[in-house]
Parts: sequence; C-alpha cells; structure tokens
Amino acid sequence: MNSKAIPKYTALAFPFLLLVVFLLYPVGTAILQGMSSGTQLLDVFVEPNTRFIIQFTFSQAFLSTLFAVTLGLPGAFLIARLRFRGRSIVRAMMIVPFVLPPIVVVVGFLQMFGSNGVIDSILMWILGSDSSVFNLATGIPGIILAHTFYNVPLVLLMVSASLERLNPELEETAEILGANSFQRLRRITLPHIMPSVLASAVLTFMFCFMSFPIVLAFGQGTYMTIEAQIWNAFRIFDYGQASALTLVQIVITLALASVYIRLGRDKNETGRTASIRTTSFSKYNLKEKVLIVAYLILVIVVVLGPIVTIVRASIFDPIAKKYTLEGFANLFTFGSQGGLNYLVNSVFYAGLATIFAVVLGIPLAIAMRNRSTAIRNVASSLILLPLGISSITVAYGLVLAIAVPIGLVTNPWPIIVVAQTIIGLPFSARAIEIAMSKIDPEILDQADSLGASRIQRLLYVELPLLAPGILVGGVFAFAMAIGEMSATLLIALPQNYTLAVAIYDYLAVRDFVEAGAAALVLVMVCIIAFLVMERVSEGSAGGAL
Amino acid sequence: MTEYPVRRNPVRIIAVVSVVVIFVVAAYASVTWWRPRFVVYTYSSFLDWGDEGADVVIQRAFAPFEEKYGVDIDIILLDVDANGIISKLVAESANPVADVVIGIDNILILQEAAQNVLEPYISPNLDLINDTFIDLLDPNHYLTPFDFGLVSLIYSTTTINTTTHPQLENLTFSDLAETDLAAGLVTENPHFSSPGLAFLLSQIAVYDGILNQDWTTWWETVKADIDVQEGWSQAWSVWSGDPTKHLLVSYGTDPAYSANYLGTAPDTAVAPFVYNEESWAWMQVEGVGLVKNGPNPELGKAFIDYCLNTTVQMEIPFNQWMFPVRTDLTLPSVYQYAIHPNEVSVLNQLLSSSVISSNLSNWLDLWDATRTP
Repeated sequence: MNSKAIPKYTALAFPFLLLVVFLLYPVGTAILQGMSSGTQLLDVFVEPNTRFIIQFTFSQAFLSTLFAVTLGLPGAFLIARLRFRGRSIVRAMMIVPFVLPPIVVVVGFLQMFGSNGVIDSILMWILGSDSSVFNLATGIPGIILAHTFYNVPLVLLMVSASLERLNPELEETAEILGANSFQRLRRITLPHIMPSVLASAVLTFMFCFMSFPIVLAFGQGTYMTIEAQIWNAFRIFDYGQASALTLVQIVITLALASVYIRLGRDKNETGRTASIRTTSFSKYNLKEKVLIVAYLILVIVVVLGPIVTIVRASIFDPIAKKYTLEGFANLFTFGSQGGLNYLVNSVFYAGLATIFAVVLGIPLAIAMRNRSTAIRNVASSLILLPLGISSITVAYGLVLAIAVPIGLVTNPWPIIVVAQTIIGLPFSARAIEIAMSKIDPEILDQADSLGASRIQRLLYVELPLLAPGILVGGVFAFAMAIGEMSATLLIALPQNYTLAVAIYDYLAVRDFVEAGAAALVLVMVCIIAFLVMERVSEGSAGGAL
Repeated sequence: MTEYPVRRNPVRIIAVVSVVVIFVVAAYASVTWWRPRFVVYTYSSFLDWGDEGADVVIQRAFAPFEEKYGVDIDIILLDVDANGIISKLVAESANPVADVVIGIDNILILQEAAQNVLEPYISPNLDLINDTFIDLLDPNHYLTPFDFGLVSLIYSTTTINTTTHPQLENLTFSDLAETDLAAGLVTENPHFSSPGLAFLLSQIAVYDGILNQDWTTWWETVKADIDVQEGWSQAWSVWSGDPTKHLLVSYGTDPAYSANYLGTAPDTAVAPFVYNEESWAWMQVEGVGLVKNGPNPELGKAFIDYCLNTTVQMEIPFNQWMFPVRTDLTLPSVYQYAIHPNEVSVLNQLLSSSVISSNLSNWLDLWDATRTP
C-alpha cells in the first residue's frame, strides 16, 4: 500500500467502523444477553405460542405476496403496453407508497376500510343502517390488505421495467411464424419476465415478513409477526425469547436476500429498449376495456384510496361522528402533550439522520464500486444488514450497549438519530451508488490527467456530478427516518416522541383525529420528498429499491 | 457565445450546511440538556386523573421535598404499564440513572427480575400504615406500600343495569362467559397491564381456590367474544367510546370518579364476583421502591419515607383514584360510591405469593395458549 492510499482507506474504513460500533456491537450485545439469560434458545420454539407466531409470520407474508403479485401483474402489463396520457405520472405515483410510513398507512386503511370509514359510511347510507356494517381494517384482512397496498406498486414497477426490456422483434418474429397470443405469452413473455416476477415476490415476502407497525395495529395482540413478538419479549424481559426470534429472523431474511441478489444477477440489465410495442386503449375490444377499467378501479381503491382518505381522517371524529379541527389544533400545541413537540422532534431527528446517512453513504457507495471483490461484498452486505436485522433488536441493543454505559437514558435523542441513520443508510448508499455508476469514467481520467489532486477531483468533479444522486438518497433516507416507528418507539421517552410514534399512541387510545392530522402532515412531507426525488432523478428514483 | 454554468464551490456549500447543522444541534441539545437530578420512574398516568393535571399535583406534592433536600426531582413518566418500567430498569441495571420507582404492584414484585433491580428498604414511616398492606405487597421490603385499589368489573349504567341483566348483582365467571355479557367485556393483556394481570389471577383464584376447576376452560369459552386490549388506557377508551362494550376490568373506585366527573350520582357501577354469598375482588397494592445501585441511595430512602407523608398521600384519592395507604386520612365524600375493602373478601388470600411466584410464567404461557387462534 502506498502512502497515497492511506487516506482513501481511512475514508472507506470510517463507515465500516461506525456500523460495527453502532450496529453489530449493539445487536451482538443484545443477542448475547438473551443467550446468557438462562433460557435455552431451542426451548423457545417448543412453546405453542411462539410456534403459532412463526407460522403466522410465514403464512401472512405468503398470502400478502400472492395478493400483491396477482394484483400487480395485470398492472405491469398495462403500464408497459397500454399507451395513455399521463402514463409517466402514473408510473411515478407508484413510488409514493414506499415513502409512506406504515403507521400512516394504518390511519389511511382505518379511514378507507375500517368501521365508520369511507366504504362503511357509504354502505350504511345505502342500507339505511345506524351502526357500522363493514370493517376490513382489522385482524388478518387488515394486515393482508395493507401489505398488498404496499407491495402492488413494487411488483408493478419491477415487472413492467422487465417487460419494457423485452425486445419487440422477438414477439414479431413469433407472430410471423404463426404463434397466437397465448403461445407468445407462454413461450416468450413469461420466461422473460419470470426473474423479475420472482424477484419482486421475494422482496414483497421479505417486507411482509419483517412487518411491524401494521401488524401491531391490526393484529390487536392476537396476530403477531416475529418482529412484533420481539418487541413484546423485550417489554416483558424475556430476553431469551427475543434473542431466539432475532436469530431466526436474521437467518430467514439473509436467505431471502441471497435469493433476491441471485435473481437480480440473472436480469438482463443491458437490454434497454425504448421501442416496446404499445397499444392504445381504443384498440381493445369491449370486454377487454371493461376488464381494464374494473382493474383500474380496484387498484385506485386499494392503492390511492387509503392515501386520499387520510384527509378525512384528519377532520372526522368517528366516535362523536362529527367534523372537527381539533387534530390540527393539537398539532400546533406546544408543551409536554402537544403535537408541535412531536413535529419538531420528527424533523430534527430525521434531518440529522439524513445528513449522517448521506455522509456515510458516499464512502459506502465508493466501497461498493471498489475494484476488490472482497471490499465490494463487505460493503454491499453491510448496507443490507439494517434491512434484515430486527430494528427492535437494533434499538434495544443501542440502549443496552451505548445509551446505558454513557448515561444517555434520560435524554436518549442521539440514540434515536443513530437508529434512524441506520434505517436510512441502505437507501442513501444505494441511490448514491446508482448515481456513481452513471458517471463517465473518462471525465475522471481527464481530471486526473489535467493534474487534479484526489481531493480536488472529489470536490469539483465527483461531488457535483453526484449531487442529484446524493439529493435523491438524502430524500429517501429522510422519508425512511421520519416514518420510522419501531426503533424510535423502543428508545424514546415521551418527550422524544416523533409524529410516527405519536400516531401509534393516539390510535391506541382512539384519539382518531389527532392521529389523522399527524398522519396527514407525514403524508405531505413524504409526497414533497417524493416530488423532489422525481424532479431530481428524472423518473428513475425507483431504481434505488 | 456559449455560457458555462457557474461552478458553485462545494466547499462553501458543505461549510454552510455544517454551520447550520452545528447551530441547530447545539440549540436542540441545550434546550433538552439533562443535568443530573433525582430521578423517579413511574407510569404515564401517575397523579394525572384529577381536574388540575399531573404537573400541578406533582409540583404541590413534591416541592416541599425538593426544598428540604435542595434537589430537583425529575419524575419521568414512562409511557408503559408497570412491567415496562421493570424492563427499563433491567436494561439499565449496569448503570442505573433512576433512584426510585413508583408503581410496581404486589404481583409484579414476585418476579425475580423485579427483585433483582430493587434494593430492600425498611422505612421508619411504616409505623404510619397498616401492616396488612406490607404483608400483602412485599414482606421482603423491596417495595413500600404507596396506594391500593380493588380490581373488579365495572359497567356503564347507561347501557346495562341490574334490571336488564339481573346476573350483575350476583356475578359469577360462568355468567360472564355467556355471549351476551362476554361480547361486552373489555379487559387488558396480563403481560403488559397490572389490572389485566390482577383479573387473570382473580379468575385463577376463583377456579383454583373456590370451584376447583381448570381455569383455562373459562378463557377458551370466552376466547372469541372478549376484547383484550393492551393496557388499561386503551381498554378504558374502547369501553367509554363503544356503546356495545359494557363491562371493563378496572377499579372499584371508578363510580367515585364518575360521580366527581358528573357532579351527580355516578353512571358507573361495580360488579364484584359473588361466590358462597360473598363478594370478591382482587386487592392491588402499588409500591415505591429503591433502585439497586441508584445514584442517590440516601436521598432515595428519604423520598420513600416522604411518600408516606400526608402531603403526598392526600393527593392520591382525587388524582390517582386509588386509596391512600394512610387509612387515617379522610376520604372525599364521592368515595361513598366506591367499593371499600371491608365490603369484599380479597381474592389474594386464595393464592399465596409463593404459589404465584412459582407459577406466574407458566400461567401466562397457558393464557397465551388460550388466546392463540
């Protein structure tokens, strides 16, 4: 190693070191505490309750994936093949659910599908009934429907992107050779999109598998995912159970992640074709038109409905059955119980976490593009870890291994910032890495041959070129941090609550308008974040997923 | 002539961002800066049920202590039920910041984890209170009695009463298992809520101690009908907001609270369980305990002594809606609507503390099994 390489490796080692200190060490401490607590880890799996939870985690994830893929596939074909005005807007809108915090989605679902919600109110009006007649926002239907909402757009985007890479000449050749449309679908289209369908299914399964706020809100203590039970285990100081479940979860998510990465490799990344065959709506026959319209209505109800109805949730009190502005009044009340406090906390923590996620994301992204395979692999797996490790365990580990020894427990906000940074890091690093891959290496070579020093090259060439990527990564990290609920819930004292945690708290004691108003603020923040992302990245923000 | 875009100096941008960030962080940190104080952990509704709100009441009750010892008391209201406080103390046991904890009750203290984070202390002020509370709460003195209440079923007289449901006058668990009543029952998860746990133990005490039957069958029968909320606050808001929920596992003082709130006769009544022509309820005694290895043990002991003074104890009836352990204090007149300890037999006598401590975790596992769909 020559002397010039030392600062470079120091810069690369910096995020690694921080991740070891703030992620691996705390999680390791938490798991070890559980293993030394006297419970035999394997005994945990004999308990019928734990077995039911593991079973339920799998089955709900499986069902949610099935629903999301079934509902997403036709949409993928429509987006890729149907020519209509506003197609790019529709496609862009599909990213919105990703940046919406799960607890906000819960509020939207209660308002759309819950009792006294929009659908219920309409049905009550039609049937002339005084009491609630329809409630899907509870128990298993609530959990699966909310997961479907989250993941339909994922399937849609990934599969339609793959469809657009299908070379139209292949299909034309098949047509000339006399293949009918079913044969073309079976022999050409399906094999081509299969990897993307599977990849989106695996990703959906993983998200649903790790689901926490949605299950907490709709499962009502009866239906729980492993993540929800880890949260319970820490609260009743059953550390053995928490460790056992954390380990199970890590093994399963790592397995899923490796399947996902393998599927991603098969993808034909280079085959970009703008010349995809599209059809205008008028070319379809009546039956197809009806089907298309029916499908669109279904998607709008499931995906757009819950977002739009949050507006109603913020002003309609379902208990008193009247419209009120109390929710917003609460948001502007300062003091120990006022919503303004939560708003300030949310913006402050998420803002700081975003800065850290970007500052750490840049060297991580550089490491992911390093010539050495070993460094590349370590970097890519390090940024995947926060997605696969229970954030509850991360949070508990941070409290146990960092906050307690240095006496931060009475004022734990720095720990919340650390946790939110860890949550946002995978997204910022990935977005910056994508931007890096788009830099023409010749420009860097020119800078070198014109005699720019490494630092000059970084400041005046690379950073300005990376600026859009950094902004997209930052905005993504911000959306993740401000919506983060699980880790913050575990770490925060009441004065550290963020809007996301406050919403959960409001819902628990049925302060529905307060929850609705807070949710509306978060929706607005996230939609603004999304618009910034769209503008800066010119529509390719979805690639960061 | 082509114009080149103006090249902004990234160093300047980075410098500006850093300065702004440092400024904002410094401002937030100084506003929230925590200087070491005397720390008391308790649950979020501590002394918060009066007309004045917790801030005023806590100030009035504890300001004399602050003055006498020249300390600032920081009462940290944790948004958890009592078990959550214990788990926080366990997590912090390597370097505790809390000196005293209020709110661990006579069941939770039987867990090893709770005893591990507390230091026994025998307060000289124990002379001021009746020995029964000490025996009932903790003869080992990890906790000193603070207040007590009778955990029982309450119902809203605006939706049901003894005319529509005569069984409320002589309520048994089998009456309660009938779909009619069970579908209107809201209770709390015994893992997280102390009244929820008291209700579970009441049921076990009746089935084990009076009926000699397997207690789990009752939970199997009501499984689909009852509403188990996570904590008391959630359960209360469901019960008070949903007209189909008539019954709530709560405290025998709730009619007094209702009478005080309405300024008239209460619209809430208590339905204690009746077996062998006796009314039964579970007595919950909440204690105040010294945190093991806390930063200010001597001050902690003085604080525990102080909690038994009238200054603190007199705030309990109106703001905590529990009975003060200082039974020599005069109760407010609305307490005529509460059920009093002399009107019921306590179910606690049917389950000895050694039986509870050796079976509790097994019972909770069995309870989990009855709740598994």
